[in-house]
Amino acid sequence: MTEPSKPIPKIQEIISVLWPSFLTAGLATILFFVAFDPHLIMVVSGYGDISRLGGYTIGFFLFWILTSTSCALTCYFRTPTDDIDKK
Amino acid sequence: MITMDNSTQTDSHEFYAKHKKVYPREVHGLFATLRNTGVFVLLGLYYFIPWFRWEGHQAVLFDLPARKFYIFGLTFWPQDFIYLAALLIIAALALFFFTALAGRLWCGYACPQTVWTEIFLWMERWFEGDRNKQIKLDKAPWVGNKIWRKTAKHSLWLSFSLWTGFTFVGYFTPILDLGQSFLKFDLGPWETFWVLFYGLATYGNAGWLREQVCIYMCPYARFQSAMFDKDTLIISYDDKRGDPRGSRKRNADSATLGLGDCVDCTLCVQVCPTGIDIRDGLQYQCIGCAACVDVCNEVMDKMGYPRGLVKYTTQHAIEGVKTHLLRPRMVVYAILLVVISTALGYKMATRTPLRLDIIRDRNALYRETNEGLIENTYNLKIINMDKQDHQFLLSASGIDNLKLVIDKTRIDVPAGTTTSLPARVQVDPANLSKVGYDIHFDLQAVDNAKLHVIEKGRFIGPLFK
Repeated sequence: MTEPSKPIPKIQEIISVLWPSFLTAGLATILFFVAFDPHLIMVVSGYGDISRLGGYTIGFFLFWILTSTSCALTCYFRTPTDDIDKK
Repeated sequence: MITMDNSTQTDSHEFYAKHKKVYPREVHGLFATLRNTGVFVLLGLYYFIPWFRWEGHQAVLFDLPARKFYIFGLTFWPQDFIYLAALLIIAALALFFFTALAGRLWCGYACPQTVWTEIFLWMERWFEGDRNKQIKLDKAPWVGNKIWRKTAKHSLWLSFSLWTGFTFVGYFTPILDLGQSFLKFDLGPWETFWVLFYGLATYGNAGWLREQVCIYMCPYARFQSAMFDKDTLIISYDDKRGDPRGSRKRNADSATLGLGDCVDCTLCVQVCPTGIDIRDGLQYQCIGCAACVDVCNEVMDKMGYPRGLVKYTTQHAIEGVKTHLLRPRMVVYAILLVVISTALGYKMATRTPLRLDIIRDRNALYRETNEGLIENTYNLKIINMDKQDHQFLLSASGIDNLKLVIDKTRIDVPAGTTTSLPARVQVDPANLSKVGYDIHFDLQAVDNAKLHVIEKGRFIGPLFK
C-alpha cells in the first residue's frame, strides 16, 4: 500500500456517515413502500390513527437510523487495529 | 482562519478543517447567461408546476397519502413502479452520455445545488454587495450595519427556504389544500415536519455548505471522471499561451515583455464558486461552471488580447490531436438510451390501466364438492386504474370443462378503485391427469375491447397413483 494519506476533516467524517445513509434510506423507503402500504402495517401493529404520510416519515427515519448505524460501524471498524493499543 | 494551503498539517478533530469561506465574485458573460437561464427555467418549473391544474386535478401530484401518482393525463399506481425505475435508468444514462460528451454540464448549469446556490448568492449580493464588500463586512465588528444586513439576508434566505419546503410538500399532498391549511395555521404535523426539513436542508445546503456539498457529499463528483476521456469537454487554462504570468499595462505586447498572456489578475480564482485556481490544471473540485471562462474573456477583451486563455476544450485539442465526437462509449450510451427510451415509450403507449391479481386460498390446496368435483378457491383483486367506471366479464380456461363460479357475472369496478372478488374453479377429476395446472383468468371490460388482461393462476388437484 502507498503512504497513508492525511486523516479526513471531521466534517467529512460526519457527512460520510449521515449522507450515504440518507441516500440509501431514501431508496429503501421507496422500494419498501412500493410493496407495502404503510397504513396497513400501522393498522396491523395497532397504530391505526397514524396517517400514511406519518407512516412514510416514520419508515424513512427508521431506515435512516439503520443505515447510518451501519455506516458508523463501518467507519468505526476501519480504525487500524495497531491504533487500539496506543490509546 | 485556517489556510487552504495543502502543506498545512490538518487536525482531524478540527470541525471546519481546511475550509475557508469562498466569496464568489459576480460574473457576466455567455456562460453566466446560460446558467441564469437554467436557474430561471428549472426553479421556475419547480415552483410553478405544483400550482398547474389538469382536468380538474393537480397536474403533477405524487399523492403519497392516496398511493397514486398523477402526471398530467396519466395516473400511476404502486404497481407501475417499473416505469419509475426505467425513467431513473434513462436519467442516469443521459447523465453518463452528457458527461462523456461535454463534461460536468450537469454540475455547472442544472444541479439543484448549483441553481439554488446561485439564487442564494443573488440574495446575498442584494444585502451585502459584491465580493469585496462581503469580505469587508465579515471582518467588520458586529454593529448596526452588519447586524441589519446579516439579519435581512438570513431572513430572506429562511423565507425562501420555507417556500421551497412548502413547494416540495406540495408535490406530495395537494398544494391548494396545503396552502389553505397553511393560511389557517392548521398544517398537519407530518406536513409541517417535511416543510421544515426540506426548507432547512435548502437553507443549509445553498446558504452555508455550498461548494462543500460538491466536494464532500456528491457521489457524482467522485465518479464523473470515469466517464471522461481525452475527447470530453473540459475547462482548461492554456498554460503554453499564458505563462509566464505577470501584470502589465493595457495593450502591452506580451512577447516584448517576455511574458505570456496571463496578466495574473486572479479574477478566475475570485469568481470560482469552489475556490480553486483553474490555472493549476483540471481538478475534481471544478464543477465546470465556466465562470472563469467568462471573466477571463472579459479581461482579454480589455487587454486587447484574443479570447480563450481559459476556455472549453478537450485533452486532445490541448495536445494538438483531433477531437473525436464519435467514440465507442458515446455510441454505446446513445444506443442504450434510445433502446430503453423506446421501450418505455412503447410500454407507456400500450399500457392497460387494468390489473388482475390472483391470490390462491392458502387454507386448503383443494376441496371436493358434493358433486364430486375438485374445487380451488381464489381471491381475485381487480384494480381499475382508468379514469372511468367499468363493468367487467371474467372467464377462466386451461383445463377441459373447467367451471368458474363467481357471485356475479358482471363485475362493477368504479374508476381508480380496487375490488376483491372471491372465485371458485371446479373441474371434473376425470379431466385431471397431473397434480398442478396453469389456468388463465381472462378479464374483459364490457364497454372497451382494449381493456383486457389475462393472468395466470395455479390449479392444484389430488395426487394420482
